[in-house]
Amino acid sequence: MARRLDGGLTMSVLRGAVGGLIGFAIGALIVTGIRAITGAEPWDLEVAIAGGYLFGLTGWVLGVGVWRHWARGWFGKDLAPYRVAGWRRYFAFDTDHKVIGTQYLVTFLFMFFLAGLFAMLMRTELMNPGRDLLTPSSYNNFMSLHGTMMIFVAVAATAGAFGNYIVPIMIGADDMAFPKLNALSYWLVPPVVFFLTASFFSGGYDTGWTGYAPLAVSTKTGELFFNLAFFTLGLSSIVGAVNFIVTIVTMRAPGMTWSRLPIFVWAINITAWLSLIFTQFVALAMMMVALDRTVGTSFFDVGAGGEPLLYQHVFWFYSHPAVYIMILPAFGIVLELVTHFSRKPLFAYKWAVGGMIGIALMSCLVWAHHMFTSGMPDVLRKPFLASTELISIPTGLIFLSALGTIWQGRLRLQVPMLFALGMLFNFLFGGITGVFLADVPVDIQLQDTYFVVAHFHYVIVGGGIFGLFAAIYYWFPKMTGKQMNETLGKVHFWWMFIGFNLTFFPMFWLGLNGMNRRIADYVPSLGGTNRIVSFAGLLLGASFVVFLYNWIHAWWRGPEAGANPWGATTLEWQIPSPPPHENFEEIPLVTGDPYGYGDETVVHAVMSRAEIADV
Amino acid sequence: MRESRRDIVWVAALWGVITLLAEMWVAGAEMVPLGLSREAEIVDDAFDLLLVLAVPVVTFVLVVLGYSVARFRTTTDETGQPVRTNSRFVGAWVAISSGLAVLVIITPGFTGLDELRGEPDSDLTIEVTAEQWNWTFRYVEADVTVEDADELVLPVGERVRFLVTSTDVIHSLWIPGFRIKIDAVPGRVTEVLTTPTETGRFREDPNLRVQCAELCGTGHARMDAAVHVVDAGEFGAWLDGLTGG
Repeated sequence: MARRLDGGLTMSVLRGAVGGLIGFAIGALIVTGIRAITGAEPWDLEVAIAGGYLFGLTGWVLGVGVWRHWARGWFGKDLAPYRVAGWRRYFAFDTDHKVIGTQYLVTFLFMFFLAGLFAMLMRTELMNPGRDLLTPSSYNNFMSLHGTMMIFVAVAATAGAFGNYIVPIMIGADDMAFPKLNALSYWLVPPVVFFLTASFFSGGYDTGWTGYAPLAVSTKTGELFFNLAFFTLGLSSIVGAVNFIVTIVTMRAPGMTWSRLPIFVWAINITAWLSLIFTQFVALAMMMVALDRTVGTSFFDVGAGGEPLLYQHVFWFYSHPAVYIMILPAFGIVLELVTHFSRKPLFAYKWAVGGMIGIALMSCLVWAHHMFTSGMPDVLRKPFLASTELISIPTGLIFLSALGTIWQGRLRLQVPMLFALGMLFNFLFGGITGVFLADVPVDIQLQDTYFVVAHFHYVIVGGGIFGLFAAIYYWFPKMTGKQMNETLGKVHFWWMFIGFNLTFFPMFWLGLNGMNRRIADYVPSLGGTNRIVSFAGLLLGASFVVFLYNWIHAWWRGPEAGANPWGATTLEWQIPSPPPHENFEEIPLVTGDPYGYGDETVVHAVMSRAEIADV
Repeated sequence: MRESRRDIVWVAALWGVITLLAEMWVAGAEMVPLGLSREAEIVDDAFDLLLVLAVPVVTFVLVVLGYSVARFRTTTDETGQPVRTNSRFVGAWVAISSGLAVLVIITPGFTGLDELRGEPDSDLTIEVTAEQWNWTFRYVEADVTVEDADELVLPVGERVRFLVTSTDVIHSLWIPGFRIKIDAVPGRVTEVLTTPTETGRFREDPNLRVQCAELCGTGHARMDAAVHVVDAGEFGAWLDGLTGG
């Protein structure tokens, strides 16, 4: 019996697809049947899709592995065993946090490059005023899909990939607290990709990633797929967040006190709390739009007593904290790298942790700064102006810690460090322009202009994505046992860094000079700067060819990296590369803080009990 | 220790010089296009003040980063001094960053908002109706309606009240040259006041235009209308022409 189940493991994705299709058909039939019984016109495409979604998603997760590896046990049946080696694991429901981290990384990098190609299309259209390549409608579709996919990447890539792969090792655990839940959280991601693709092939949607009602209610069917995709990603985020929190709270190795926790683990911990608390609000916003579209609930239909601004409040109540869900992991990575590559303890560790906690606490009090021109009551402007400006204080503490660590350090300017320093440079401009946008008088002019586009690309790409690539370069040797080429890495960094700044810095000027966002066409006087931005954007896009070559080539046949190529102190570098299945031969004993550079008396951990006996 | 003192002096000197140069550049450069209303002055003053305040912050971080990369780089295995914190530096950082945050909340934040409210009475009321993808302007006092407008004509020096709504999805009334923006929300009437200070027209200044600033579907990019600011006599004649009087 067990052998038959084992032989079928490579079929996971196929089983999932079949399960999804069957579930979808059942769901669509049920809602259509209900409509027939209750006297409504039986067939309604969007109702069928929404009904099919619920059962289809269930069918997919059951088929892909939940049934064979998990649910069978509830009925007293044998569970299918997991594969312990080989590439097929990466295409299957697997509970090893290292496999799941790799799955997340590859999936979201794929999404990142796809969304990047859409940006190239947009910039080609915007190279000249007037219409060139895309119709206004298809421009809006690509713009919406670009924004949505990139937001999903920013929300889930770093935490999903490195939170999963590295955090359990950093805290001295053999896996996450709930390995099956962890696999489930990953296998909810392919449906997200599927729904976004489906939205594209059903005519697209033109509301951007913010999906504002009432446009979202009245526009094309693709919008519903967007709602379902976001809802599904939210489900995955919440499931993942519970797992991170429980893992970090309960699975730390003996001696791993809160003040000895690597800063990246703190960042993921705080990020997970934000995901856990706030993701439900965006799920609610998506659900309300989907219900308005399918069953006529009229949450946002003025004619039936609805309220359009309700959507914005609910949406931003998640989506502002989400900005910190995107950026906190990058802060964690950058502080982590700054200390290892400056060969100095992390400066003002407690202030950095406090800064992250402060950001998290305040992040729920600033959402309406996205709505200063929305017509919300005037009395709300001052409090949200104040809370938004105040959040710069805890954010500044991250820079305090980073600069204090670099100061008088012994800086090794290897590729991960370059990306970390580049992130600090970029985020500085993203952060400082946030101070401008929080100022209501200035925001009235700049809201919905390219100034905002430049600002959030500086934060999310310049900050979050640079952080992601810092992490990729830093942990690649650990994940694969191979070393990426240092020279190609440096070429990639400088190419990307220059391309990024050439693309997005002129956008501040465009916004100040009257270019609003999300437009396929603009006044002719802005043509020259737009052309520069477009060429720079294509340059930025091309930089990833260098990365992809280096990444794939090194993974395939790069030189051996050894256990600790960077000479770093945290636990993941004290075990072989790639780590064995159980991570540690013995659970280590943590004896000191993780950044004891220059201080012989600090030993982060004892890796085996035999060593203690020797001492 | 003496080494580190020298680094601090260097950074302080570099910071001072670069900040001075950057402030001089900021003062001379024209960052924002010509403002053409009373509101534009307030908004642009706020922007300029924030820029003056932002410069030393940005230069400080860049100087420390740049100096450290240039001065402390190494390819050897040595480590830095295990300095874990420095209470004077941390204290100064927290105090200064908090002080700056509170300062910008008060001014240009609160003061700018109060100034923007300005005179609540208007000389002229225009009801704006947005729909996918055009603007309708109704001059209330003269009872003149311009549907699917190509042009918004305003008298210079008079206080104009826009009462804005939408018939379908959310739009946003934005006149870049005036620095005013307010969303057009179905089922609501939102309000914004402005006083044009210069005569002019779109052909001469592309920021004299009404532009929809909230994504509203396929025609969003071209949901615009030229703004034409004229003197009182010309405005009266234009209205008379429309009413046939």
